[in-house]
Amino acid sequence: MSKQTTAARPGTVSRALAKDRLGVPAVLSFVMASVAPLTVAAGVITTAYATTGLTAIPAAFLVIMVILAIFCSGYIAMTRHITNSGAFYAFISRGLGRPAGVAAALVALLAYTFLQVGLYGAFGPNAASLAAAHLHLHTPWWAWALGACALVAILGLFRVDITGRVLGVLLCAEMIVLLTETALGLAHPAGGHLSFATLSPSALGSAGFSTFGVLAVVAVLGFIGFEQAPVLAEEAKNARRTVPLATYLALGVIAVLYAGAAWAMAAHSGTSHIVAAAAKQGPGLLFTLGGNGILAQSAQWLFLTSLFAAALSFHNCVWRYVYSLGREHVLPAAFGRTGGNNIPKAASAAQSATGFAAITWYALTGQPPMTGLFFGLGTTGGYGVLLLLTVTAVAIAAFFARDPRGENIWRRLIAPAVAAVLLGGIVVLATLHYATLLGVSAGSTAAWALPASFGAAALLGLGWALILKIRRPMLYHTIGLGAHAITAQITPAPSEGTR
Amino acid sequence: MSGPLSGTGRLGDDLYLVAHHEITGKPHLPPRALGLGLAAGLLGELMLARAIHLHGGLVMTGDRIQPDDHLTSTVLEVIHAEREPLAIRDWLLFLARTADRDIGRRLADAGYLASASGRWLSRSPRWVPVDPDSAFAPLVRVKAALSTPDPAAAQHVLLGRLAAACGLAHQLSLYLPSDAGRRLDQAASYLNPGLRELTAATQAAVDSALLAHRA
Repeated sequence: MSKQTTAARPGTVSRALAKDRLGVPAVLSFVMASVAPLTVAAGVITTAYATTGLTAIPAAFLVIMVILAIFCSGYIAMTRHITNSGAFYAFISRGLGRPAGVAAALVALLAYTFLQVGLYGAFGPNAASLAAAHLHLHTPWWAWALGACALVAILGLFRVDITGRVLGVLLCAEMIVLLTETALGLAHPAGGHLSFATLSPSALGSAGFSTFGVLAVVAVLGFIGFEQAPVLAEEAKNARRTVPLATYLALGVIAVLYAGAAWAMAAHSGTSHIVAAAAKQGPGLLFTLGGNGILAQSAQWLFLTSLFAAALSFHNCVWRYVYSLGREHVLPAAFGRTGGNNIPKAASAAQSATGFAAITWYALTGQPPMTGLFFGLGTTGGYGVLLLLTVTAVAIAAFFARDPRGENIWRRLIAPAVAAVLLGGIVVLATLHYATLLGVSAGSTAAWALPASFGAAALLGLGWALILKIRRPMLYHTIGLGAHAITAQITPAPSEGTR
Repeated sequence: MSGPLSGTGRLGDDLYLVAHHEITGKPHLPPRALGLGLAAGLLGELMLARAIHLHGGLVMTGDRIQPDDHLTSTVLEVIHAEREPLAIRDWLLFLARTADRDIGRRLADAGYLASASGRWLSRSPRWVPVDPDSAFAPLVRVKAALSTPDPAAAQHVLLGRLAAACGLAHQLSLYLPSDAGRRLDQAASYLNPGLRELTAATQAAVDSALLAHRA
């Protein structure tokens, strides 16, 4: 045995394992890498200004940060008491029962899939635009989108550590550019006077209180990724400290980044002109905050790599979800198997296939990629995550109601209850004003079909859970355990009151 | 199979050979999964020798024996040195850090591997099998164990189960019958509960590493 481990002393194992565990910086980097700052700032925020016509986007980020921080109190507390804490459906299974958990699993899969495939709707046209401007190459957006999808499919079949390094490098460059553009935008406000109007919570109701739901969905979209910190709970140095600290830091960093960028764009254009400017310039609205020089050009290229990195990151997220669900037989078992080099090829390929299908559909039907595929599916994915957050908050309260497990009343009851009420209210408002979110007419098919797709997924999940309960009770009882499902099948744990 | 390279008879050694290409010596798995599988191989050797056993997810010491090789002897010393029994997952993670290197060196000392010129900028030696047929032999032994179910073949069944658990199912599928997976599951009945728990814990650890982006 190697020299470093030959010393047979008490505590050898714990000391050795501690060296390999992750600290707050590593967990925070992991969360931020899945956030893709420029994708949200240049893609989501500008399109949101243009599509919704609402200007209180900066304030929405700050308010959602507070609501998510309240949610996280109970969320992080529950991660200490369950396995597979990286997935909402695990929380919902333990809190509200396995049928609800399976329903949530399918809703989550759909939501993250929407988020991933939607990114090609921004990559395609922006790549085509850059190619036309710099290479004099005129190709349709979908050709670039399919190319990116193919590259993601190939990289997704490589070893995970390679793709992790790519994401880390791009993240650093994006944050530098974003912070610089924000600072320059605030330094040159319209009319020479810096307005704080769009930061004020009162701005959230300026177009009618009901539109807060729409703004909230846009803001939640920006925060997606914050929920990933518990994925590393088993790998963290001190899970009780590392995971909460990384999560709250991530919320703070994300809120400052996006509220700042959205504010800078509104301040630079003028609050009364931001919607028109965003409609006219799109992502260029952010790129040109500091002028049209090398910073703007660098930002354009980094936006493209940010979109690609986000597509790759969500690809990894979705196939892991598919793999985990395949392991539990919530999805067909073939998705839970690995091929050469221990890569879950079936799960990865299935995710890639949905990307190809979505791009092809939008290309064949002639729908606008930026507002339709990118913003439409992206915000719908955000809406799906909002649904999951709401139900998870209820599940957390239900879980601790059966057994407080030593958690204080704020974490086990008050925080999740407050979060559930606030998030639930946002879901209702967003559902009622979905057409505003998509920028379509109230009677449009997309305005009801997209949110209804989650209802369909939930019903499918409920039905499948009941079938599993009857036909494969042993597998049914391991739902929600993720990687630990296999050990539960060997040594079933005592019942903890989960139905 | 007889001859000077007919196998060391050790579970960890056989698993190492299955996990690496029989000619180039290149691993079939990413480092974390490989380490976890080989760590399970070392623990499996001690369990088969009844030096340790699993109870309630914890590794407990058993008969006080002296293994006949330095590596498992050292592992057993470290286990005995801990004041409290530790979870099987902790032992897998601990041993996974060096298992590939340690078992490679053990096989090299036994004459099954030879050092090739190292990769540029790599400090660890690259081992290649001395005899590709001997390197391939463990899979032949797994196949034989599936063909003629026999409680005496428990070690070979365990080899197949651990190989599948750490992500080598693809390699197994290339050389074993198409129903090998089902036969391995059936043959698992020859394994005592502790060994079944070892394979489940190995698979859970590999899956956790994959899902936590550390595989």
